[in-house]
Order: sequence, then structure tokens, then C-alpha cells
Amino acid sequence: MQKVNGGKRNGKTAHHWVDSKAGTVERAAFISDEVYRLEIERIFDRAWIYLAHDSEIPNTGDYVTRMLGSAPVIVIRGSDGGIHAHLNSCRHRGTKLCRTDSGNARHFVCPYHGWSYERDGTLITTTFDRHFPKDADFSKLALIPVTQLETFKGLIFGTWNADAEPLVDYLGEFAWYLEAFFGRTPGGMEVLAPPHRWRVKANWKVGALNFVGDSQHVVTTHAGPLALDPVREARKGFATVAADSFQVATRNGHGCTVSYLPPGMEEDAYQTHPADLMPLYETMLKPEQLALLKNLRVIVGTVFPNLSLIESQVSPGEKAVTIRLWIPTSGSEMEILSWILAEREASAAYKARVLKKGFHNFGAAGVFEQDDLELWVSATEAGHGRVALQVPYNFQTALPFLDKPEPNNTWPGRIYRPSDTEVAQFEFMRHWDGLLTSGA
Amino acid sequence: MSDETTSREVGDKDYVAIQRFLFREAACLDRRAFDAWLDLIADDIVYRVTQRVVRDADAPAIDTAIVDEDAIALRARVEQIKSPRLTRAENPPSFTRRFVSNVEAREEGGSEYFVESNILLFRTRSNVPEGSFYAGERHDILRRTRNGLRLARRTVRLDQAVLMDGVLSTLL
Repeated sequence: MQKVNGGKRNGKTAHHWVDSKAGTVERAAFISDEVYRLEIERIFDRAWIYLAHDSEIPNTGDYVTRMLGSAPVIVIRGSDGGIHAHLNSCRHRGTKLCRTDSGNARHFVCPYHGWSYERDGTLITTTFDRHFPKDADFSKLALIPVTQLETFKGLIFGTWNADAEPLVDYLGEFAWYLEAFFGRTPGGMEVLAPPHRWRVKANWKVGALNFVGDSQHVVTTHAGPLALDPVREARKGFATVAADSFQVATRNGHGCTVSYLPPGMEEDAYQTHPADLMPLYETMLKPEQLALLKNLRVIVGTVFPNLSLIESQVSPGEKAVTIRLWIPTSGSEMEILSWILAEREASAAYKARVLKKGFHNFGAAGVFEQDDLELWVSATEAGHGRVALQVPYNFQTALPFLDKPEPNNTWPGRIYRPSDTEVAQFEFMRHWDGLLTSGA
Repeated sequence: MSDETTSREVGDKDYVAIQRFLFREAACLDRRAFDAWLDLIADDIVYRVTQRVVRDADAPAIDTAIVDEDAIALRARVEQIKSPRLTRAENPPSFTRRFVSNVEAREEGGSEYFVESNILLFRTRSNVPEGSFYAGERHDILRRTRNGLRLARRTVRLDQAVLMDGVLSTLL
């Protein structure tokens, strides 16, 4: 990794985008290409970044192509059954080995001059080995492996940082929450279809923050689907924040918002998780994790920096788990990948229902999604000018709660109530600012 | 879609009626006459839109559905985008222009036509004044009823692996 200069530019004190006293964030953080370049260097090429779900590559040779920070990578199921990830670029003249989104490969053959590689990245032949110097070491010409690659409950992460702490430590207290959604049955979760993909002229953090927990936008932005949803009875309570709902912020900038059904809408009237899978949950989860899921209306969360999840009700007894990646493509544009998952043990009919009801709400044509994105783009549009750039974004509803988590013995991480403040979002931004500023 | 061996191309008279239906339907959407458009769909409609996955030429093609709706869900989607208070994406409304071409129609002797067409949608919005395109092939089933033709099934296969203009908030 390139060494950065401790956050000092031109010998001056580090610049901060986040003002913890004022409860504001400089708008440039959501617009500027200079900030984007710093983010790639100090966050996306260093942190653990989500790449793929285990179930996307079930068979030997199955692969998907993704971005890891600034670099395109191939994630492939090797001949040994393990997962490998390599820079998607030939060691000879840089051509991509895979120019597709997904497929199955026996080995990789570069379409330019024919260098070929095993699934584990080992060079098979350059086809002109005989013309290399006598002492050429072909073992040094393997595909560049992703520096560290680890899986947590089917979620595959990679990093270019040799010094990154182990994934489970990086996830820290947030792993407990992820377990309740991705490790709640013995078979784990399964991706139900290839991802939806779309681009939007908005900064990646707008999405990440929305999913950390932006309870304040739901009723205004999503007036339409809340009024029209075929299971609208189930959504009536959105305007009411159940008192036991809470926000979470953990070390390393992860966070989520857990919203419970308000009184009178408990499971009798409105059953939440699928009844036939509950016995499996009980074999895998701790009592506190089962309690987390009970009467849960919706959870949104973000694994820092850019993996988010939402579990929402699609109809009584049916839950769609959506995960998504907010991939920065510039200071003011991102590409979004979005998947829907269900328990591997669920019936095919259940999976089919959850998939299409899930993307009716959240996805490339989602009725919730379309209104969010319109407003995110308009913020980008309004923010580009010199004048607007001097007006910071406001997170002041975080301030009364900042550094004042509730004492509790139940849930991991720092817990904040009520759940409709901006404290978890602001904690995400403070962590981001720390990484960008220190460069450490 | 219909089987080439058991179906036959429709005659000119039916072909004109089918094309007239497709043009009228597209005009309803361009003019935001959503209620008139809903009158043209069958109660058992299945309305799907897919995006592509980039695959090797010799690998099985995969499309991923981004809309897959019955009449209830589709009507809710339409109600949202037609109601000024219920939509952000379509208020102010998009300006849209749909071009329908390359119509091929077959029948098997029942009450339904199997119709393929190309759709090109040009769309501008307040956020996207330069406009954007959606292009794809449509596989429809049109049903003959006492009240005229009704759209009973539609799959729009978009020619995009990445939608470049945000979330799709219109009909194709």
C-alpha cells in the first residue's frame, strides 16, 4: 500500500469534514472528486470490502467479477472447493481475464496473447515460455491474489491491506447482528437471483447513511408505497416509532436501526418471521438474538463502508433480506448492486414469493427505491456550485445523544434511543472522517 | 412464447389490430393516461421487466427480473406514479416518448396472440434534462375479449446489464 502522510497536506493540520460540535458535515464530502480519491486510497483500498455471497458461486469454477476498491477482481470457487480472488488483469499486458459478470471457468486464458492461469491464479503457461530468460521464475507470474480474503456467514470480504485485522475482529460487535440475519439457519442464507445493478448520480455515503438508519425520511419520502402497499395494514405503524426501537453504532463505523412493531401490532395480528423456520432459528441463535428478531418490523444497517442490509416484511410471515453495495464511481456517482436472500431451507415457492415481492419494494425498479434516488440525485445537483458547497449538511438531531449511549446489557455496541435521531448516521460520518483524516 | 411448429403468423387484418393496440397503449403511457392504460390489461396479467447479465457467448444466458408483478402489484405501482402526492420520482413527471417497432405476431387458434416487439423509450426528467434511453424486446400475450384486445402477459427484456439512469420508475 502507498504510504500516506498522516493526514497532513502541505504541512497543514489535517482537514476535517465533520464538525462534531456543530453536528454538521461539509457538503464536499458528498460531491468532491478529491474526497473520492482520498476515500479510495484511505478506505476502499484498505478496509475489508464486501465482494460476493458464497451462494453466488456454489460449484467448482463458478466465478463472479466485482470491484475491490480501485481494482476489478475475480472471485472464484477453486478446484479445492475454497474461494479464491484475484486481480482481474493479466500479468503480461493487463487485459482482463474475465470480461463477464459471472460464469464458470476451468482455467483463465488471456484473450490477448494466451497466457493461462489455474483457478487458484497459478500461471500455467505464457505460450512463449521458451523465449523467456533462462532464470525466469514463472511462479512469480501468478495472478495477483486479493491480499486477504475471508468469509463471515456466507458474506465474502476482501482487502488489499496485509495489516488489516481479521474480518471477525473488524466486524466486531456488529457480527452479532449479522449472525441474526445471515447465520440463523444451519444452511445459512442464499442469494435468490443475480444482483440488480444501476447507476445513480449520488455519493455512495448517501446510501450507506440511509441504511445505517434514516428513520426521519421514511414517512415523507415514501408516502406512496406506504399508502398503497397491498399489505398496507402491516405498514400502518411506520409513523409510530415503537419505544423499544433503537439505533446501534459499533467500533469501525458499523451501525443499524432496529424498529419494532408498535403496541397492538404484535405477532398475533401480524406474524413476522416464517413460522416453519423458527425452530431452525432456535438451533442457531442465542436467546438475545431471538429476542432481537421478535416483533421486528424492519432493520436497516451498514457494514462500514459500503455494504448495507435491510430486512423487511413483504407479507405476514414472509421476510425479504436485501443486501446491497454502494460502489463509488466518482465523488458524485455510484453503482449500486442489490441482492435478495432467503434461508436456504425455505421452500422454492417461498423463495420465489420473497424475491419478487422484495424487489417490488427495493431494487432497480423498487417502489421505495425510486423515490429515494430521485431525492439523492437532486441533492447532488443542488450541491455542485461554489455557493452551495459552503453550506454543510445538518445532522444536529445527533447532538443530544452523541457519546451518550444507553446503559444496557442486552444488545452489543452502543445503543441509542429513541431510534429516530441521526446519531448512528453521524457516528458513521465521524468514523469516516477519522479514517480520511488520519490516513492510518 | 408460442411454438413455431404449432403457431402461424397472423393475417394482415389481425396484424393491423395488434399494432393499433400497441400504439394506443404506448400513447396512453406517453400521455400519462394511466387509467386508460390500466383498462387495457387483463386481470390475470403478469408484467415483467428484466435486465441482462453479461456472460460468455457459449454460457447459458441469464436475465434477472427487476419487475415481476400481478395486477394488484402493478396497479399499486401505477397508482403511485400517477398520484402527485404519492411519488417523488414522477413529480414533476418524466417526459417520455415510446417507439414500438418490429412487431411480429403469431396465433395458435385460441383467443390469444403471441406478440413480439421492440420498445425504445426516451425519457427526460428534471434531474436528467439530457435524457436517457431504455431499449429492449417485448414478449406479450394479447387476448381477444368482447371489449377488444387486452394485455395478458408482458416480459420486457432490457438490453442493459446496468441501468444508467437510476431506478426505473416508468412502464415499458
